[in-house]
Amino acid sequence: MRIVIPVIAFAAVSSVPLFATSYYLYLAELAMINVVVALGLNLLCGNGGLISLCNGSFMAAGAYGTALLTSEAGLSGLAALPAATLLTSLLGAILGYPARRLSGLYLALVTLGFLELVQIAIEEYPDITGGIRGLKVARPAILGLSLQSETALYLLVAALTAFAIFAAWNIQKSRFGRALDALRQSPFAARSLGIPVARMKPFAFALNAAFAGCAGGLFAMVTGFIDPTEFGVLESLKHITFIVVGGLGSVAGSVLGAALFTALPEFLRGTNEYSELVYGLILLGTLLFFPRGLAGLWERLPALPLQRAASKEPVHGAS
Amino acid sequence: MSWQILSQLGISGLSIGSIYALVGLALVLPYKASGAVNFAQGEIVTFGAYMGLVLTGLGLPYLAAVPLVLLIAAAAGALIERFLIRPIMAGPEFTLVITTFAIGIVIKALIRLHWQDNTFTLDAPFIAPPFKLGALRLNPAYLVFVASMTGISAGLSLFLAYTKFGKAMRATALDPIAARLMGIKPARVLSSAWGLAAALGALVGLLLGPVIGVNPEMGHLILKGLVAAVIGGFSSLGGAVAGGILLGLLETYAGAFWGATFKNLVPFAVLILILLARPEGLAGPASARRV
Repeated sequence: MRIVIPVIAFAAVSSVPLFATSYYLYLAELAMINVVVALGLNLLCGNGGLISLCNGSFMAAGAYGTALLTSEAGLSGLAALPAATLLTSLLGAILGYPARRLSGLYLALVTLGFLELVQIAIEEYPDITGGIRGLKVARPAILGLSLQSETALYLLVAALTAFAIFAAWNIQKSRFGRALDALRQSPFAARSLGIPVARMKPFAFALNAAFAGCAGGLFAMVTGFIDPTEFGVLESLKHITFIVVGGLGSVAGSVLGAALFTALPEFLRGTNEYSELVYGLILLGTLLFFPRGLAGLWERLPALPLQRAASKEPVHGAS
Repeated sequence: MSWQILSQLGISGLSIGSIYALVGLALVLPYKASGAVNFAQGEIVTFGAYMGLVLTGLGLPYLAAVPLVLLIAAAAGALIERFLIRPIMAGPEFTLVITTFAIGIVIKALIRLHWQDNTFTLDAPFIAPPFKLGALRLNPAYLVFVASMTGISAGLSLFLAYTKFGKAMRATALDPIAARLMGIKPARVLSSAWGLAAALGALVGLLLGPVIGVNPEMGHLILKGLVAAVIGGFSSLGGAVAGGILLGLLETYAGAFWGATFKNLVPFAVLILILLARPEGLAGPASARRV
């Protein structure tokens, strides 16, 4: 049973190209890319309780990395994507290493500063990055086989998303994942249990950056065009919205939140100017009234009548 | 470069630094009282500017609109604290940070819904051609910036040092439980701190709007205010003022000597360097808390 459900789900997802129009295919690809982003961020924020406002920058590093490694260094798409993912992960570690002494507000500020630096770097070096005018990304070729066909690219995204879900699930259940949970609940208690708190933060950032970098690379391939506004602070907050609404610290929550918010503009079609307002209100409402997100609601559902008596349970992450 | 140009740059650095200092104050004040940084403060600046636009549009002169806008903003700030911040104040810091961001997104989205992305002009009496003082050219708006910053910092420190309510605010910031035992109502202190900060933010919008034009991106200024607060150690009002002025001067001179790219990089480079090397700020005492 534990194998069957994922297999069926994957088969269902990968059969989408058989019947969907190319627009819905594109939408499904974006949804899966957002799932990958959310999974990584949820490990860092949901499990580790660390605040990162620069997730967009990691995505940018992956996107620009993949694009430039393909066009400038002449790598094939199959080589450029993992290389860019690795480089982004390294960038995450480089940011996480000096930030290992920081937490809470100060971490939020450092990551915000980092995000702005990356934005400025992209805008001020238009010779390489295309600046604010953006950068065209060639469709990748893999093993000499061009991903010109939409189906092939779709399947690549689906396969990598499946792998990301599998990886995130296992990381969460691993020793490292449990250590992250301990770190969120109390860094002091975690330390006294022998968890090397300071050493974990660079790893957590590197891990998150790897997910975001891979997602960024896929994003560049799928959209064929990237510009810095796709990776700003508002985008980083959207990523946070995915995991807050889906459920902090929950793999299912990441998937649910990312899929839901990619589809949201579709529901709001014709009223696009409201989309930011809706985003903000949903985020605000979730934080205030359902701090554990959709995944938390789901867990509470069977016990709802009993919940009244036991509703004094601690809020997620309260320490 | 002659002393004339250097001091001309110094004046513009000082005046923009005054704006940063005011935003920094508006960030530090509620942080001291509630331990939460209001990342929506930038949008409150924008809100103040648009409120000024509305009231002057109704025919009020600028100077009469200012106190009204400050009152509206103070009420809004107190309401935000009461209904959105206080319920989650005991929660994790992650929730607090993201909630204030979400409030900012909502305010900005509402403003953009009504006014779109246009830039509006707001008339103010201090928009006048620069006048000459010796060899220097002085822009009256710059003088107003510096004067507002000086007046407000002085007023605020007098208020905190000598009034009963100011003392209650300081006591609550030091130790909320002890303050409560002394008969101070922490809830009132919290609401007032947020209200005061919102009024300060709106004032920045009213000062800056006439100079740069009222537009929905004004809130970006919060980044400079954050840097100012960080330079000062984030819990010191005087530090935030000094930090803002330092940042303004640094930015202006860096821009003049090394160009616009460098000018844009400076604030964030300073932010990251200080947080990594001296998170307690340039003047703050070294902290012993390590995890």
